[in-house]
Amino acid sequence: MRGPNPLTTARTLASIKARNESAWLLPVSSPDVTERMRRYEDDDEVDLVIVGCGAGGSTVAQRLAREGWSVVVLEAGPFWEPERDWVSDEAGSHHLYWTEPRVIDGEDPVPLGSNNSGRGVGGSMVHFAGYAPRLHPSDFHTDTLDGVGADWPLDYEDLRPYYEDMEEELPVAGQDWPWGEPHSYPHSPHPVGGNGEVFLRGAENCGIEARVGPVAIANGRFGHRRHCIYRGFCLQGCKVDAKASPLITHVPDAIVHGAEIRANSTATRIEVDERTGLATGVHFVHGGVERFQRARNVAVAAYSIETPRLLLNSSSQRFPNGLCNDFDFVGRYLMVQGAPQTGGRFEDEVRMYKAPPPEVSTEQFYETDPSKPYKRGFSIQTVSPLPITWAEHIAAQGHWGRDLRRRMSDFVHWACLGALCEFLPLPENRVTLDSEKDRRGMPVAHVTYSRGGNDKRLMKAAQETMEQILHAAGASEVMTIQRYAHLVGGARMAADEEHGVVDADCRTFAVPNLFITDGSVFPTQGSANPALTIMALAARTAARLAAGARQGVRRPTEAFTLQKES
Amino acid sequence: MTLPLPEDDGGGRFPGLRTLELRDHWDEATSSLILSRVGRPPDVCFFNAEEEGIAAAMLDQLVGQEGEPRVPLVNVVDARLAAGETDGWRYADLPEDGEVWRRSVRFIDEDARERYGVGFADATAAQQEAVLEAVHRTEGQWHGMPAGHVWNLWLRYACTAFYAHPWAWDEIGFPGPAYPRGYSNLGVGRREHFEVRDAHPGEQA
Repeated sequence: MRGPNPLTTARTLASIKARNESAWLLPVSSPDVTERMRRYEDDDEVDLVIVGCGAGGSTVAQRLAREGWSVVVLEAGPFWEPERDWVSDEAGSHHLYWTEPRVIDGEDPVPLGSNNSGRGVGGSMVHFAGYAPRLHPSDFHTDTLDGVGADWPLDYEDLRPYYEDMEEELPVAGQDWPWGEPHSYPHSPHPVGGNGEVFLRGAENCGIEARVGPVAIANGRFGHRRHCIYRGFCLQGCKVDAKASPLITHVPDAIVHGAEIRANSTATRIEVDERTGLATGVHFVHGGVERFQRARNVAVAAYSIETPRLLLNSSSQRFPNGLCNDFDFVGRYLMVQGAPQTGGRFEDEVRMYKAPPPEVSTEQFYETDPSKPYKRGFSIQTVSPLPITWAEHIAAQGHWGRDLRRRMSDFVHWACLGALCEFLPLPENRVTLDSEKDRRGMPVAHVTYSRGGNDKRLMKAAQETMEQILHAAGASEVMTIQRYAHLVGGARMAADEEHGVVDADCRTFAVPNLFITDGSVFPTQGSANPALTIMALAARTAARLAAGARQGVRRPTEAFTLQKES
Repeated sequence: MTLPLPEDDGGGRFPGLRTLELRDHWDEATSSLILSRVGRPPDVCFFNAEEEGIAAAMLDQLVGQEGEPRVPLVNVVDARLAAGETDGWRYADLPEDGEVWRRSVRFIDEDARERYGVGFADATAAQQEAVLEAVHRTEGQWHGMPAGHVWNLWLRYACTAFYAHPWAWDEIGFPGPAYPRGYSNLGVGRREHFEVRDAHPGEQA
């Protein structure tokens, strides 16, 4: 555990700046960033090509560019200019989501798009709410401790230093955290709006511990980042630059250290040399033209749907069932979190659209409780749907027409909580290739999801707890809808190739110079929002690579020292 | 402009709230987008004329629009379908969104003719409502498509089009875009000077 809350002392800021200068390079549209970007030729054999410029890809790019590696990041979406491209509006933010065709199937089909899938530089974190909790130490050993899920091939302690770094670099604001491994946050908690107030009051009235945070929104001076204006449009991309996304937290530093972010470039296939067994680069489509970027190492960070899709689409003579798929793990053990959402009606005006949706959370129900009929647990957080999302919440209750309008006119009186239930990894929940093709001729992802019994019992318990909290806060009426949030898994990490796709360093067992550095490597997910863990894991992989702590990877000429571990 | 909504249906709760009048406080990108929604509606090009009439009546019913002025839902939905602007997924047991909409308007029209001997667009509001409610209550298949998934798709398109419109925001007390001004009075029962108190706060939802 870190010492007392250091806040933003000059010394702390200096040490963050020495590690990652991004906040001091903003705005991203400044010539300092855009005009300085290095551009590589396709024929240049770069040290590393990364597929995807979200949480995992940006972090690896920033870390390794700083270590002198030549890095190209292929990003399917655009390089955002927030002031020009983003709006303070729900419907107008549609282009932030991955909206290319995908097919959803199973007993509990999971909506994608705005729910969990981003595009463009910054990835899904551009539209994530902003919650940045850590996993708990127990998450890494659910099989051993609870007989469910899977053990990770690494421990909480392996990630701790990277969690601490990332919490400083985003930075994360919140109260001292009593759950998991107790820790403090670099920035103090934000003031809460009506929705957070309702949660805190209800929790207190029924004896549940709740805390403000942890949110990746700076609360105090931090480089050129402007202060939060509490406008409530976090899910529409933060025009203020207050909420963290890799676009502002890691990409600027990556660029000034020589990385090229190649936007509007969709990877279609990873090339592997049949003779050496090594990846040689990535095929991609840019402006309708097929190209190939040569590279000494390849990292895939396209998230839990597109990463498996890309691997499955990269079959070859050596890998007839898809790249790295010798043991049929690619695309399997995909996970979402059960995310029931409960609204509560108050005679007072709550106006939950004011202040960031991420305000208050509790992890009191996170761990396995032997007295309950389920293993593992759930967390509860404020969520604050804006009108369109709230209308979908009302419509999901069966209301439509005049009835829908009447209920919507009551919008300002409602508070809303959401749970994250730890769904267990199941092999049948998976990504496969559909017969339908996208506009490039590449098969689209077919995503199948069905809940297990433990999953259903967790969702029921979470709903009851949220309804209890809202009633305790004085709600006259509650209503709950069933939904899902986040994506992880699909290329799980394991101790050996017979149990997963990558090792603890995110290196694929099958191809020694191919890495997967996104949420798809998670063997389990806890009840935590995944962004911070994805970044911490990516930072750890980058540190291991920079240190040359592996055989089989041709590293750049200079020798690097391992800063974090040893 | 104020959408016609009777007080019994939640109308008139936020007297004087005109979100559009706050536009001087919006950033340029947001402002031009929102103003385009109150400007000339996009021409219909995905639906043919007959489909347009049915779809317009259907969308109005889904969000309870009767009388003028109204949010031009069919133009907005049509533009989305023409552009292929989906939500980024489709159910495995449904075709792609555009095809679902084409089939939907055809089948809803057939349902109206079978029940009332008149096409959906020419049916009375009560008849239209009954035809739609029958689909809503259907468990299992509706004309070979899973009714629940079809209903979900209709409501997603209708709600997105309707609650993206500033007149709809006025009706629910939502002041719209909030950049670069933001909010300074956070908390239960607190309002900015430009927010309007609910005139009927005791209304149960």
